[in-house]
Amino acid sequence: MSLRQSMAGLHTWGGLLPIWLLFVVIFTGTLACFDKELERWMRPGLQTPGQMQMNADDVRQWLKNNVSEELHAYWMHPPTTREPYWQLGWEEHDSGERGRKLFAPATGEALPDTLGGNFFFSLHYQLHAGTFGMYVVGLAGMFMLVALVSGVIIHRRIFKDFFTLRPNANGQRAWLDGHNLFGVIGLPFHLVMAYTGVAIFVASYMPAGVQVAYQGNPLKFFHEVAGGYHREELEQPGGTPIALERLLADARAQWDGGEVGWISVHHPDDASAVVDIRRRDPSRIGSPQDTLSYDAATGELLNVQQAGTAYRAYIWMAGLHMGQFGGSLVRWLYVALGLAGCGMLIGGLQVWLRKREARGGAGIALVRSLNVAVLGGLPVACLGLLWANRLLPADWAMRQTLEGWSFSLLWLAIAGWALARRGRAGYRPLAWLAAVLALGLPLLNLLLVPQGHLLASIGRGDWALASVDLTLLTIGLLCLLWVRPRTQREARTRLAEVTP
Amino acid sequence: MMIESSNLAPRLGIFARVLAALFGGYALAYCFTAFLSVYLPLIRADRVVYASLGCFAVWTAAAIYAFGARSATRAWLVIGGLALLLGLAAFLPAELGARP
Repeated sequence: MSLRQSMAGLHTWGGLLPIWLLFVVIFTGTLACFDKELERWMRPGLQTPGQMQMNADDVRQWLKNNVSEELHAYWMHPPTTREPYWQLGWEEHDSGERGRKLFAPATGEALPDTLGGNFFFSLHYQLHAGTFGMYVVGLAGMFMLVALVSGVIIHRRIFKDFFTLRPNANGQRAWLDGHNLFGVIGLPFHLVMAYTGVAIFVASYMPAGVQVAYQGNPLKFFHEVAGGYHREELEQPGGTPIALERLLADARAQWDGGEVGWISVHHPDDASAVVDIRRRDPSRIGSPQDTLSYDAATGELLNVQQAGTAYRAYIWMAGLHMGQFGGSLVRWLYVALGLAGCGMLIGGLQVWLRKREARGGAGIALVRSLNVAVLGGLPVACLGLLWANRLLPADWAMRQTLEGWSFSLLWLAIAGWALARRGRAGYRPLAWLAAVLALGLPLLNLLLVPQGHLLASIGRGDWALASVDLTLLTIGLLCLLWVRPRTQREARTRLAEVTP
Repeated sequence: MMIESSNLAPRLGIFARVLAALFGGYALAYCFTAFLSVYLPLIRADRVVYASLGCFAVWTAAAIYAFGARSATRAWLVIGGLALLLGLAAFLPAELGARP
């Protein structure tokens, strides 16, 4: 067997096996480019622009008043342009349970809980399945790397084929052109994203270096590599904590007016309590790890973090993956290339199907059903989540749980329907559903969210928020265009495609 | 589906290559990372990070080779042999690896 033949086999089967999982990862990763805008969209309370009244000490006071358990640590982030709210998170000492709250900076009120844009981000890197999910996604990333490399090897005329698109050719040929087009346009991006994606959790995936150089002690490694500061607990009650705002002012002075990012307080009730203040610099691909560590009671500066060169290289790779630099233009580019990734997967699946539909074979019905269940089901379920967010009363304690259930149940229902129809389901009913859901959301906003609907957001030039509704309208219109009643001639050519 | 006896050998070969790509490839990447974490002329933290960041390229290359090699036996010999050599060189001098 020639190299090209064996690579073709590897590409076909090694690509098919993880393809639906990869679609979930790439699609939600594409959505997560705008997770912060979605987060804002899902929290209508935020959409009133206002003066900032709340400061870091007010956030700490809220925590003191509302959480009585002893805390292992808490962390907070001041409002930014993309995230105009205070974020607070904490971990309890005994149970290890974590909490999260956001606050409107104008009023200082805690915002109602929702799964928010974070839901898509979490689905992207760990499938909401914790450490296990993180390993599954990592393995899928390795399959993607192998599929990309083997795809390049079997692609004979990579330059010439790039300019070849034969939409009127027979189905398989046209889909192959599409698969190649999206694959080649996106190749550098997909390679970089797959590689940096698995590299983010390299410390979990590849413990070999820690094993030989640190006697298998990861904590020692993390401490040394990041140049951070850690103080053991003294098991004594701590003194009166110093005002956080004083430390923030000192940090800004140390950085010549640099912005403050995450502020974290470790074992706040102990005499060993430390306040870490990390710098935020969105002009850099990887925000530099310049953390300042202060004694929480005296305010003494204990440590200035000096990360080594290798760690900076790692931060740069992670930053390249997360796309938090360079403004919305970079993120739209990431979205476009992410969609090219989805297109590549869809094209590849269609090539696989068309090749086998003609001569028949095992697994065709299963692959078709999974396609409808995942390629059609996931986007519709995401729209369903946004509907649940809008329709469920914001003050219900169960809102987050119910949002999660509406996403899962809608997806399960579509998957069940697709499997029950044994692959004969087709996408048209789903496209109708998606069109109704996507076009309905901006209309629903007109009725329910006086400060956040399209007219209001465009009126005050809030394009970040308006872009969510505008994107939904575009998706809805594209779906309508796709399901529109076709003329007889179009229907005939379509029929000819389907039955070669 | 029945497996015909004439199909059995190539199927076993493919199965062996899949195992070589998954487990052999990971073992090679592991030993490669350990090897560079010991021998790169850098401080300890930088040795480990640079070595680890390169490991996925090694795994990918091993997976490609597992299917590109002339036979499954050859794939296992090359991948396993390299992993063994790198692993021995990395894990035998314990003092050297732990130097700061």
